[in-house]
Amino acid sequence: MQTMENKWEMLEQTSESREKIWSRNRTFAADVWFRLCRKPTAVAGLLMILLFMLFALVGPFLTSYSYSDQSLEMVNIPPVMKVYDVGSCRVYITPSLKLIRVDENGSLTGMLPVVRYEHEKSMTIFDCDGKEVALYYGRSVYVVCDEATGNIYPAGHIWNHDHLLGTDALGRDILARLMYGTRVSLMVAFVSVLVNLVIGILYGGISGFLGGMVDAVMMRIVDIISTIPLTLYVILIMMVFGQGLQSIIIALGLVYWVDMARVVRGQVLSLKQQEFVLAARTIGSSSRTILLQHLIPNAMGSILVTATMLIPSAIFMEAFLGYLGIGLRPPLASLGTMCNDANANLRTSPHELLIPALVICLIMFAFNFLGDGMRDALDPKLKK
Amino acid sequence: MNENILEVEHLTQHFRLGRKEVVHAVDDVSFCIRRGQTLGLVGESGCGKSSCARSIIRVYDPTGGTILLDGTDITHMSQKQLQPLRRKMQMVFQDPYSSLNARMTVRDIIAEPLLAHHVVKNREQANSFVYPMLERVGLTREHADRYAHEFSGGQRQRVGIARALVLQPELVICDEPISALDVSIQAQVVNLLRDYQQEKGLAYLFIAHDLSMVRYVSDVVGVMYLGQLVELCGAEEIYSHPLHPYTQGLLSAIPVANPALARQKKSGGVAGDLPSPVTPPAGCRFHTRCPFAKPICSQEAPCMKEAAPGHSVACHLYD
Amino acid sequence: MEAILTVNNLKTTFLTGSGAVQAVRGISFQVGKGEIVGIVGESGSGKSVSSMSILRLLPGTARIDRESSIVFDGQELTGLTPKQLRQIRGKRISMIFQDPMSSLNPLIPVGKQVEEMLKIHHKELTREQLRRQVLELFGQVRIPEPEKRLKEFPHQFSGGMRQRVMIAMALANKPDLLIADEPTTALDVTIQDQILKQLRTLQQESGASIIFITHDLGVVAELCQRVLVMYGGLIMEEAPIDDLFENPGHPYTMGLMASIPALNQDKTGRLPSIPGSPPDMTNPPQGCPFAPRCPYARKICAAQCPPYVSLGENRRSMCWLLQPDAPAENNPFRKEAAR
Repeated sequence: MQTMENKWEMLEQTSESREKIWSRNRTFAADVWFRLCRKPTAVAGLLMILLFMLFALVGPFLTSYSYSDQSLEMVNIPPVMKVYDVGSCRVYITPSLKLIRVDENGSLTGMLPVVRYEHEKSMTIFDCDGKEVALYYGRSVYVVCDEATGNIYPAGHIWNHDHLLGTDALGRDILARLMYGTRVSLMVAFVSVLVNLVIGILYGGISGFLGGMVDAVMMRIVDIISTIPLTLYVILIMMVFGQGLQSIIIALGLVYWVDMARVVRGQVLSLKQQEFVLAARTIGSSSRTILLQHLIPNAMGSILVTATMLIPSAIFMEAFLGYLGIGLRPPLASLGTMCNDANANLRTSPHELLIPALVICLIMFAFNFLGDGMRDALDPKLKK
Repeated sequence: MNENILEVEHLTQHFRLGRKEVVHAVDDVSFCIRRGQTLGLVGESGCGKSSCARSIIRVYDPTGGTILLDGTDITHMSQKQLQPLRRKMQMVFQDPYSSLNARMTVRDIIAEPLLAHHVVKNREQANSFVYPMLERVGLTREHADRYAHEFSGGQRQRVGIARALVLQPELVICDEPISALDVSIQAQVVNLLRDYQQEKGLAYLFIAHDLSMVRYVSDVVGVMYLGQLVELCGAEEIYSHPLHPYTQGLLSAIPVANPALARQKKSGGVAGDLPSPVTPPAGCRFHTRCPFAKPICSQEAPCMKEAAPGHSVACHLYD
Repeated sequence: MEAILTVNNLKTTFLTGSGAVQAVRGISFQVGKGEIVGIVGESGSGKSVSSMSILRLLPGTARIDRESSIVFDGQELTGLTPKQLRQIRGKRISMIFQDPMSSLNPLIPVGKQVEEMLKIHHKELTREQLRRQVLELFGQVRIPEPEKRLKEFPHQFSGGMRQRVMIAMALANKPDLLIADEPTTALDVTIQDQILKQLRTLQQESGASIIFITHDLGVVAELCQRVLVMYGGLIMEEAPIDDLFENPGHPYTMGLMASIPALNQDKTGRLPSIPGSPPDMTNPPQGCPFAPRCPYARKICAAQCPPYVSLGENRRSMCWLLQPDAPAENNPFRKEAAR
């Protein structure tokens, strides 16, 4: 036992020392953030969303193409090209049986002019810097060869430097269109969140808070709205406002809050029985205070989770409508319309479908991961 | 100025349970509380004491009877008419966990009544009330910016009390304020309530199932059984001369914190379970568990009458 | 007395977002055969966690320290596999919890649930034998009309009756040790009284040992033979029941007893109370956990944890003021001696 001076002196005790709370003073938001950060999938989801936002908002300034620039010479070119070294230059065979000159970096420098057609040999002869090269299309794998000897030129793969993700059937840069498409998807996500947070919360909150007849009528209206499919709304709204993004946004805004309203109502109904709400009533607080300060902040956990979980379905809904061809008007790009456009050339240029489909998947994954993490972070049962 | 801050006459509170069934939570309960005094209300859980408190503070709409707060009939007032009167009457709740909003700081919780009644205009002004109140209940200024979930049960309950007392009400309804607390903390809370009563002369309706604490804080004690008041008298009297068989049973069921006495304790207590308040027994509601039940008990309901000066009881044994 | 359970240096920690909660910080005790031991403490004192640690009924975030040892009837429990532990749970050691509703399956008739409990450890019993045993158990715990109630569901039972069913289940396999974790806290006094009486007679009939966990000293006085007083994850005091009440050996015990108003107490004065709040176990005090609230605390109390002092047979207490060199001034133990 170590010796201690004045060890038998009375200990000074203050109200502070007795009532001291040791835990760090953290607000609810900070607490949730802390728990969210400890979940790798949630952080990954959040990072992905941030990257997509950067991609969609800053990306268009970094590329020289716009979503509508067409180049009929450069159609359906993949991101990785199979090129033939014909000596003086490299050439790439387009799906429409043309030859494009490619330099050593992978930039496309122009089409080779056709010299003549040799139908009986199944060949087309092109002029490459004065040298004649033949495109042989007699077999399913087209090759570039020497007309006279039939020797196939050595082939290799090279990354498409001009169009990193290739071009579509109209020769538009897929990367540029992807940026605009992601922008549309994120915009739809944003609108759905906004609508959910404003209309959904207020509608559900008021319905649950007032209860009785008001609640019954308001919830029947919600039932009616949710029984009619969203596609039908979009089609109807397009009759009025015409085809385009605005119709989709208006349709989402009009009906996309019903799930949130139901969740908020349920929460409010159960919170209403809690003692702190009774306490607010006995204090004499106004209904407004009770709803906005007591009920909704306490329902915020479920609200945030529902909102993040609804985003992917909104994004998918937009993509789905786009794919059906009732979304944006061309040449505007959305991920759904890009998939639709790619359908025609699916066999020869599968990248045109795969790339936007992959982006849809990734965005939905990211939001789902984030929503999952949010639910865990907001669940007080796991807090212990 | 009225002598009684609260007068409750024939208060009845029923709840509908489906189409036909009715829960008889409170049936024909009458009592009054004088200014600066404490009425203790005891009974088992499900006896209607909390429903009684909530009807009085008008969270529920009473089915029948009258409630006079300081001479004003508040039984059928709308919430809007009640709003200014709520300053006179505040409530402390049982569960220190669910009675405080987890998303609000302690400062905002205590300032809420001040803002609701326009005593102060904003949160900065509220501080001049909040800080003294916090110190009054044994907490410090540093606690003001913390959230309720960071506090221990006793600390939370003191925050709840601070919220009820900050408007300086004339009547505070304490709905089992100590039941959820540890023994060492219960005494803190009870002392706090008593000290404040001596300072400001406010009245309490103190509800508890713990008879020993009720005796300590109350001037008058009422015992409730299955929605009805069965005995009402001075706090000392009820412990020295309990008349109703239920009160006697309740008293003998309290565990004695003394092993020697506990071993000597006669076999007493109350046998059986509380009947359902949906279908209360006919006649005296206690006759199913009463060791002295007579034939009349199952037929005719006894009414409250004075068996001794200032000592009312509802039992056929004292007819 | 022969010990059925020996706990040595038990430490249990929970990992949480705001740091490790040191719920139990090294406790040692014994339970004799046929003995009723009470563990008294406030919420957060570690009393429930220590009992849960015995059967390892802890959430995944909990860690039992490697140096801890729990010996039950000559067998070390800390090293057992979950499968081996299941052989002991419910058969040789059983538990009763505070909330009987959440311990019973609401979809299965209670009789069936008690039968299940029997069947796990006695596969050879026939249906008729099982039924008879359950009826017998229901009779033991005084459930009226056992034949009829066997087929009823938990929600048709009152709180007291449910707790009786739990006791019947716990006793089904005639355990050597029954751990009762605040079994009467959620019940009314009249029902608590009934249950306590029942436990006492059942214990006398079966001869099982009981660890009874509660926050109510009154309940302990009615039932237990020996008491452990816990605070801040440590055993503050251990004493036979009569000694504890006659002559408490720790300022915390004194405070606890003083804060229970007796029915004959003068009510004009203030009720003695313990100021302050229990310590935060993520950051337990360096010295005696009770020091910040103790009316007799000295400087050393806040700096160092006191060692145990033996106060007679089966009696020990952890307080600096019991040390021989402690001054007599403002020392509750010296006053006793002077008197």
